[in-house]
Amino acid sequence: MNWINQLINVPTIDPDDARRRKLLNIIVLGMFALDVLGIFGIIVVDIIDASPPENITSLYISAITVLAGIVITYLINRYWISWVAGVLFVTLFIIAVSQSDTPAELVQGRAMITFVPAVIIASVVLRPYAAFIVAIVVNVLLLIIGLNAQLEPDPFAVPIFLGIALATWLATRTMERAIGDLRLLNLELEDRVRDRTRELAESLSKTEAILDSTADGIIVFDNTGKATVANPAVSGLLVHRAEEIVGSDFEALMSNAVSTEDKGLISGFLHSQEAPEASVKFQWGKKTLSASAAPVHLESGEEIGTVAVFRDFTREAEIDRMKSTFVSIASHELRTPLNAIMGYTEMLNEGVYGPLTEQQRGAMGRLLANSSHMLGLVNNLLDRARIEAGTIKLNIGDFAPSKLIDGVKGVMDMMAHNKGLELTTNVANDVPSTLQGDWQRLHQILINFANNAIKFTQEGSVNIRIYMHDADHWALAVADTGIGIPEDAQQYIFEPFRQVDDSATREYGGAGLGLSIVKQLVTMMGGWIELESEEGKGSTFIVILPLIPPETEEFTLGETDLAVSDVVHQTETE
Amino acid sequence: MDKPIALVVEDEYDISLIFARALQAAGYDTEIVRSGDTALTWLRAATPNLVILDLQLPRVPGTKILHYIRTEPRLAETSVIVATAYSNMAAGLQDRADWILIKPVNFGQLRDLAKRFSPNAPGDAD
Repeated sequence: MNWINQLINVPTIDPDDARRRKLLNIIVLGMFALDVLGIFGIIVVDIIDASPPENITSLYISAITVLAGIVITYLINRYWISWVAGVLFVTLFIIAVSQSDTPAELVQGRAMITFVPAVIIASVVLRPYAAFIVAIVVNVLLLIIGLNAQLEPDPFAVPIFLGIALATWLATRTMERAIGDLRLLNLELEDRVRDRTRELAESLSKTEAILDSTADGIIVFDNTGKATVANPAVSGLLVHRAEEIVGSDFEALMSNAVSTEDKGLISGFLHSQEAPEASVKFQWGKKTLSASAAPVHLESGEEIGTVAVFRDFTREAEIDRMKSTFVSIASHELRTPLNAIMGYTEMLNEGVYGPLTEQQRGAMGRLLANSSHMLGLVNNLLDRARIEAGTIKLNIGDFAPSKLIDGVKGVMDMMAHNKGLELTTNVANDVPSTLQGDWQRLHQILINFANNAIKFTQEGSVNIRIYMHDADHWALAVADTGIGIPEDAQQYIFEPFRQVDDSATREYGGAGLGLSIVKQLVTMMGGWIELESEEGKGSTFIVILPLIPPETEEFTLGETDLAVSDVVHQTETE
Repeated sequence: MDKPIALVVEDEYDISLIFARALQAAGYDTEIVRSGDTALTWLRAATPNLVILDLQLPRVPGTKILHYIRTEPRLAETSVIVATAYSNMAAGLQDRADWILIKPVNFGQLRDLAKRFSPNAPGDAD
């Protein structure tokens, strides 16, 4: 009960003083209660008993005096100096006790019992050595009482009292020492705890600072698969904010953004017990992410969870894709002229262009062997590229034509500007606001055309526009006021490694591979390319595509029917 | 005996020449067209015995031409050899083409194959 505590506890600075005051308060209040009960008892007796004892008045007086003494002691103890209260109390106690018995009883033996509490109380409420003081005072008092009453003093009183005082002093002193030691120990411990906490806070804030500043997303999972820590970077990668992730079930979070097979991949990866693979890659919403995970072990070796690091792999994935697109298409393109070479060589060998001499036939044999060899190399290249990156898949989706053009303009603006050329864009009114197609690859194609346009134009302008070719097709055109392409060269420019002429290659740079890849991509999209160009006036490259793209099965570029193409032709050689 | 007529539908210059030569060596009178619309125009006017058809053509896809040949009664007797680099496109056409060749096509093999389709051939085609 709070009010008892309030009554007993005295708020002082010195804890020892507080303890002493509290103890005195307890004793005082105890006495108070007893005294009050005593008064009630006297009243009851007074009322009930027909003939109360004579000294009932004196009983009343002494009881009330005691009460007053107790109250004064309490007040002094609470609001003034504690040892004054203590001394007062002990003195009153001694006086009271000395009045309680006859001098004879006191001197002869009861003193031992009745005065001992005073010794103990003094020792506890004042100081340990107060036990001795009280013992001496009591002895003196007994002597005076004895002398007054002409009684024989008890010879054992002095040593016994001193003995009790000694025991009390030792006990109290030990107790106070122990309390003091505990207090010191406590302070020391508090200091240590404070230091450790500060160190921990520092290292935590360092760790937190590290987690906060990492660009990679970090999530720590416990053994049940629940996310316990997530750093701010995850929100950029996984769309969900860090607060949403912590405590949630990761499986649930994945369901929106991740395909089913990828989900299995991720789950297996995160919860695998054996040493994990280096990393997995998967699609999360619009981004490609790569993740690596490692188990978290305590020093004892116990595994308490997994930490997973997520990185935005979209750029790398795109570069990977571009690389394999490039290699696949390039290999495919290389085979076309090779096949023509082998075809003509075959025909020459078969005498289609007239009979051959032995020597000529021999030369044919060498031609065929070498071109066959080269075809084999190209096939290997293609196979390797296919294995590395799977087949080329068109990612058909909805996109806004205006966004497509703006994207390209943003990239090529600077380049045009640096050359003093004007770059204009335009989307015709009758073009639908969304079109279907592989946005990324269309972007690549446009960049390719725009790049060439700027490259081959010295002055004037480059214009990019989208318009409707007919009811079923839309068109993408890049027009420039550049050097143009001579008519006889126009059919060759879509072949790989071909530019208009070698001087152009030297002056304008580039391996000319871009256009052949563009042609392949456009073919895959179900469309075709048209070219209008006049030497000295400029060129316009037009890509025409169907509004509804062809069904996108996976497009395997040219299965190598090795039986057909790698046949080493039998020749009648020497 | 009149020579049988063959039509080569192929947009790549060199490949079209090789096809044509192979068919000539097999005894056909050969015409080359290099785009889908020209092929349709030609097919409306004439009836070839054999058509070598590339699937990747500008403006009009090869499949459309194959469809025309197979639905036009006048061309019921015309054999069609489909030549393409894309094997998965070809897979769906097995029931409509008489033969499917995956590019690159070997001159000698095409010549021999075309001979088998020829009406002047000693044995039966297919």
